[in-house]
Amino acid sequence: MNKFKYTIIALAATTMALSCKKQLEEKPYGFLSTTNFYKTESDANSALIYAYSILPDLGYYSRNFIVLTELPTEDVAAASGKSADEMLLDQLTVTPTNGVLAPAYQFPYVGINRANLVIKYVPAITGMTDAAKNEILGEAYTLRALHYFNLVRLFGAVPLHTDPVDDISQTNLPKSSMKDIYDLIIADLTKAAGMMDQTVRLGRVNQVGAEGILAKVYLTLASAKASSSPGYDFVSNADDMYNNAKTWAAKVVTGQSVYSLDPDLMAIYDVNKKLGPEHLFDASVDRSGADEGQYSKLPLFFMPNLNFRLPNGTYVPGGFNEFLTESGIYDSFDANDKRKSQLIISTIYDVGDAGGNKGPTQNLSITDSYYRPFSNKFNDSGWQTGQQTSANTPIIRFSDVLLIYAEACGPTAEGYAAVNRIRTRAGLGNLPPGLSVAQFRDAVIQERKWELCFEGNRLFDLRRSHKMESVLKDTYGKTITGDPYYFPIPQAEVNKNPNLGK
Amino acid sequence: MRKIIYAKFACILMVLLCAFTAMAQQREVTGVVTDQEGFTLPGVSVAVKGSTAQTATDAKGSFKISISGNGNILVFKFLGMQTQEVKVEAGKSKINVSLLNARRDLNEVVVVGYGTAKKRDVTGSVGSLKGSDLIKTPAASVDALLQGKVPGLQVLTTSGQPGSGSTIRIRGLGSRADANPLVVVDGLPLGDAGNLKQINPDDIESIDVLKDASSAAIYGSRGANGVILVTTKRGKTGQAHITLSTLTTVSTLGNKLDVFHDPVDAATIDNQARINAGIAPLFIGQVYGGTYYPSLAELRGIDPNKPKWAYNTDWAKLVYRNPVSQNYTLSADGGNDKTRYSISGNYYNEQGLAIQNGYKKYTGRVNLEQKLKPTVTLGTNLIVTSTQNYGQGLSVDRSIVFPAFNPDGTYFHIGSNDFGNPLQIANEVLNKSKTIDLLGTAYINWEIIKGLNLKTQLSYTHGNAVNDNYQPRDATSTGYLFQGYGDINNYNGDHLINENYLTYDRNIGKQHHINVVAGYTQETNTVRTSDLQGHGFVNDVLENENLKSATTQFISNGLTKTALQSFIGRANYTFLDRYLFTFTGRADGSSVFGENHKWAFFPSGAIAWRANEEAFIKNISQISELKIRASYGLTGNQGISPYQSLATLGSYKYFTDGGFQTGYGPPYYNDGSNTNSKVFNGLQNKSLKWETTRQLDIGLDLGLFNQRFTLTADYYYKHTTDLLRQNQVALSSGFSVIEVNDGTIDNRGVELAANAQIFQGNKFSWSVGGNFALNRNKVIAIGGGNQIEANGQDIEAIRAPLNYYINGQPANVFLGYKFDGIVQTAGGTNPVDGTAATVGDIKYLAGGPIAVGQGEYIIGNPNPKFYYGFNTSLKYGQFDLYAQFYGVSGNDIFNFQTFTPSAQLQAWTPDNHTNLYPSVNATRVYYASNWYVQKGTYLRLQNVNLGYTLKPNLIKGITNLRVYFSGTNLYTFTNFSPSFDPEVGENGQFGGNYRKPRQYSLGLNVSF
Repeated sequence: MNKFKYTIIALAATTMALSCKKQLEEKPYGFLSTTNFYKTESDANSALIYAYSILPDLGYYSRNFIVLTELPTEDVAAASGKSADEMLLDQLTVTPTNGVLAPAYQFPYVGINRANLVIKYVPAITGMTDAAKNEILGEAYTLRALHYFNLVRLFGAVPLHTDPVDDISQTNLPKSSMKDIYDLIIADLTKAAGMMDQTVRLGRVNQVGAEGILAKVYLTLASAKASSSPGYDFVSNADDMYNNAKTWAAKVVTGQSVYSLDPDLMAIYDVNKKLGPEHLFDASVDRSGADEGQYSKLPLFFMPNLNFRLPNGTYVPGGFNEFLTESGIYDSFDANDKRKSQLIISTIYDVGDAGGNKGPTQNLSITDSYYRPFSNKFNDSGWQTGQQTSANTPIIRFSDVLLIYAEACGPTAEGYAAVNRIRTRAGLGNLPPGLSVAQFRDAVIQERKWELCFEGNRLFDLRRSHKMESVLKDTYGKTITGDPYYFPIPQAEVNKNPNLGK
Repeated sequence: MRKIIYAKFACILMVLLCAFTAMAQQREVTGVVTDQEGFTLPGVSVAVKGSTAQTATDAKGSFKISISGNGNILVFKFLGMQTQEVKVEAGKSKINVSLLNARRDLNEVVVVGYGTAKKRDVTGSVGSLKGSDLIKTPAASVDALLQGKVPGLQVLTTSGQPGSGSTIRIRGLGSRADANPLVVVDGLPLGDAGNLKQINPDDIESIDVLKDASSAAIYGSRGANGVILVTTKRGKTGQAHITLSTLTTVSTLGNKLDVFHDPVDAATIDNQARINAGIAPLFIGQVYGGTYYPSLAELRGIDPNKPKWAYNTDWAKLVYRNPVSQNYTLSADGGNDKTRYSISGNYYNEQGLAIQNGYKKYTGRVNLEQKLKPTVTLGTNLIVTSTQNYGQGLSVDRSIVFPAFNPDGTYFHIGSNDFGNPLQIANEVLNKSKTIDLLGTAYINWEIIKGLNLKTQLSYTHGNAVNDNYQPRDATSTGYLFQGYGDINNYNGDHLINENYLTYDRNIGKQHHINVVAGYTQETNTVRTSDLQGHGFVNDVLENENLKSATTQFISNGLTKTALQSFIGRANYTFLDRYLFTFTGRADGSSVFGENHKWAFFPSGAIAWRANEEAFIKNISQISELKIRASYGLTGNQGISPYQSLATLGSYKYFTDGGFQTGYGPPYYNDGSNTNSKVFNGLQNKSLKWETTRQLDIGLDLGLFNQRFTLTADYYYKHTTDLLRQNQVALSSGFSVIEVNDGTIDNRGVELAANAQIFQGNKFSWSVGGNFALNRNKVIAIGGGNQIEANGQDIEAIRAPLNYYINGQPANVFLGYKFDGIVQTAGGTNPVDGTAATVGDIKYLAGGPIAVGQGEYIIGNPNPKFYYGFNTSLKYGQFDLYAQFYGVSGNDIFNFQTFTPSAQLQAWTPDNHTNLYPSVNATRVYYASNWYVQKGTYLRLQNVNLGYTLKPNLIKGITNLRVYFSGTNLYTFTNFSPSFDPEVGENGQFGGNYRKPRQYSLGLNVSF
């Protein structure tokens, strides 16, 4: 009798145990998966936002991209005590294991994968207007093109992913030719420009932005072909490309009224005027963000590691002193150039002060080994404390496109007019008339150096105009070892992608 | 088990006693019999040698026996104790005897997982400890006390912070996912070893360590790293015992500090470091950053216009103290033949060496067992633990030139970006955590028919932790960065385990014995977390009490759930009491693996031959035990986080249209602190499965002279394949890693344990014991076709990772450049970064065989060649003395603190062309080189324990009273930097831990 009772208890316990056999299935908590996403318009928006959010990451425009594109040029040098990778980059001695390369290579692909997801899944979403879909898809195509444009200019031929990766079997693509990559970039941007309108949204790209980037793509092809810059043999005709660049730049310079040249240089870099007329497309941040990447620490890279006030009164609670401005840029400005007098800071105030108004004024010298005059382009007037700033990194500005237009036009009336608008704003006189085509284009590229310094353009301008050796080595005495035109594919990719060379 | 036998013996002997008393004559001898710890023993057989006179001790351990004139030797016998003969001198009528535990008794019961076995019948490699073998030292958890006790069990306790845990390895590092052994408490699989804070060390009856595949295979998918079985004390049948144990400890710094003592030195070095870096020196008598930096002349007192500088702050004096810690346990146990109980409560309060830092713990425990019927027993174990941890480690490296306080009593800051004032951090930073842990088990044990038992057990554990953190704007850089940083972090873990198993034990004829265990278990583990964070507060008054008032708020929450289902089985067969066979198997199904690889089976087998039962050895009377064992089997590891086999989306925010908007998509994103450490996850692997370890073990147990000398030796070979690891994928995929199974690591080694009872007598006894373990670890293949892979991210100080897995090398070797002295003449370049080499810099040799950086070398190996422990135990009359040593040999330490203040004073200068230390330089970048590498070999006098036990029943009502003095971490023989402790983590990196105390304790055990 008792035995029977205990048998029942024991059986009950055991059967209770055996009953839950679905237990081993995992239901992830707090995670969305591709099966329950990309269903609604707000999912589509969210997928696009995720694609944008890689841009201001510290592995991309808020840090690493600027480190990689500025250190090799005559804009900035790595301050003493910085990492070997940065020192070697500064000297253009770049090996595949250089730690700055891997994020510069990987982050665009993270963005490409996110854009590919939008491109793949958004068309099938129901309950969305075509206009809304086109806007989102156009932005995704622009982002994908931008990432490939960065990759091809940094590394040359790279794998070309046009479908999202969601399985290990899709991870190892061979390199595609630079021609194929440029074809996709041009196709994407052309398509995108036709899908979007001109609505201005902070941190997002619209039709004008896509047109501006496309003009830059064509100008790269044109000038690289014209100067026989390595790798661009595939371009059939430089003049056709200059014409295309001119056509697309004209759409920005004369074909729209949303954007224009900001008459006030300082206003371009004022975080309170982020929707100013010059901002076609920025990587957007705000100091209220949770992590670096939502806010930016880029201004600190340029600033001395002291406490001080900027001339406009902004209190700087200590920079990183990562970049030292080189005389190659600093001494090259005309004495009257506002881009030097207004955008490069040579005097700091209240040095060492903890927030009051009592400290010595310090003049910074370009020959000092540790503290030098520094760029004020990345700066946050609303900076309160800490290291969080709202300084966006420009991806494409109106003045950039205006100079693209000038270079594409050559020494024509419209070409002169375009470059002289830039010079006038900087407080300089007009370019001398009667320059040859080559002289004029060199002069525009020189103008770009002053206008766009510290914004990640100089390296690409030198590469596409085939001037890496003549400028960096012959003029500024850098020792170039290795390929000055393309960085090596990072070792981590070489190790893990056996199909790379296939 | 043993207690029931005690009781039975007592009854039988009482009856016999009645029969014999009538015949008693001549002189009478009385006395009390106790065990080693002074507890009185009831039921001890007392006989007069050479006669039939015999008696037994009563419930209070007292006996009375008559001896005849010529028979004057008494023989005391008790199960589990060494038999003792005592000569009764003429005229003596009172004699107290303390029986020694039978060391290594062959009938001793060993816990083997889902059952017990007699030591003599064990076929696998099991290391056993009694609770009484654990050193009586202040320890919050038992883990640290296991150091040097069991060969093959390595314990690394690197931090001296109260309440901090240890790293435990059994037979080397065999996994990259989770190399921690499994801890099982009273049959409840609790989790990873390392910080077993739930158990009061005073409550431990025994610890058994399952090392080989045969013994660990019963834990299948979690057995690969070995298993530590903890058994807590049970009630004993008989009179109730009430025991109070107290321990009061004073701690001091274990190592001499290497700091500046003269402000002139500190300022000179600081100036020189800046001058060498091309920056203006500070100590020139100037105000800089709001702080006045005195000149060297002023510091020396030779500036005619200034008085001598008044400050020379001894930070160690302000930050460190000699704290007093306390530990009290009150326990009661007892029972009758139906009910047995054991109850205890513990209060533990450990104060840190650093001010405002401490750890408190309360533990309550009840074990209760009730016999419902002769065949049915019900029982419950319940443990409740609450801990409280507060404060933090503090640095004493701050400049001694400056004071701790301003004249107005506020904290002194060196410039406005200085957040290193340790007194301010100690007093103003809120850093507190509270935990509550509950372990509850209910079981029913039913003997269905003779020999067949069913045990059903339901266990539940609950863990809760709340961490409070607030960093004021003025005290830390984080606080300053966010203008007040507040955080509340919540953790809730629930673990439900149901185990059901049948045991069948039977002799078949006279020659065969079988023991079979079969069962089913299942468990679920749910962890729920949330984090509330606020950045930016109006002021620091409320700390983290009103996070809603913060300018920006961040919340996050998470939940992970894992499930495990298992079928277990074990069969033991013994033939002729000398040939033993064990087969064990466990089938495990785990939720964390891919949909096609949820289940795996882990079989093992062992054979043993008790050669001493063979006639030809039985005749050699000196040999009391000779057993040869061999086992082979598979165990597993499932130590990865859940959801790795699934594609998951991540989320992040982007600032657009006037605010932050949330985006979703792959990859799932793990934040890293710098660009090189961002990890993009979320690439699914549907084939994810177990990590498998195959292990061969060959062992020998030898006992001589009736077990007075014992030796256990084992050789093992562990071969771990399908290593769970994160494999890097092509960067162009947009992902960083995928969780995969590949790669192979081997561990092989030898373990020895020996004990000798050199002298044993009633008044004086002396025993020594020792153990030795040698392990050779080798990465056979990293997997994925890799030759080399870094273990860990870039380290700021050397701008690169340090530890690597390299095929054919031990795990975690250091990679770096060769240190080739100091640059003595200008010219040439630094081969690492291509910069011009300047005099006084470290001279590196690059171009080494490893294709990392500019060609690196293997510059060190953090794995010890061997480690060992030995102890000696002396007893004289009422005094006892115990000493324990522990040593590690042949490992390298990468000492990030190589350039200490005393080394900086010997730095290279134009007048001192040393090749040992570079010049001081405020901005120099250092690279990994063997300049940092030091030998880690050490031998430590870990503990000395001197006790005095009062004679039993001397004080009425007190059955036992022992007072003792214990010293811990007393002396370390080593060539490692004398200002630091050489016990460093598994990766061999030393960067300055919370300092380890030297402890002096006074303890008292009293029983009623």
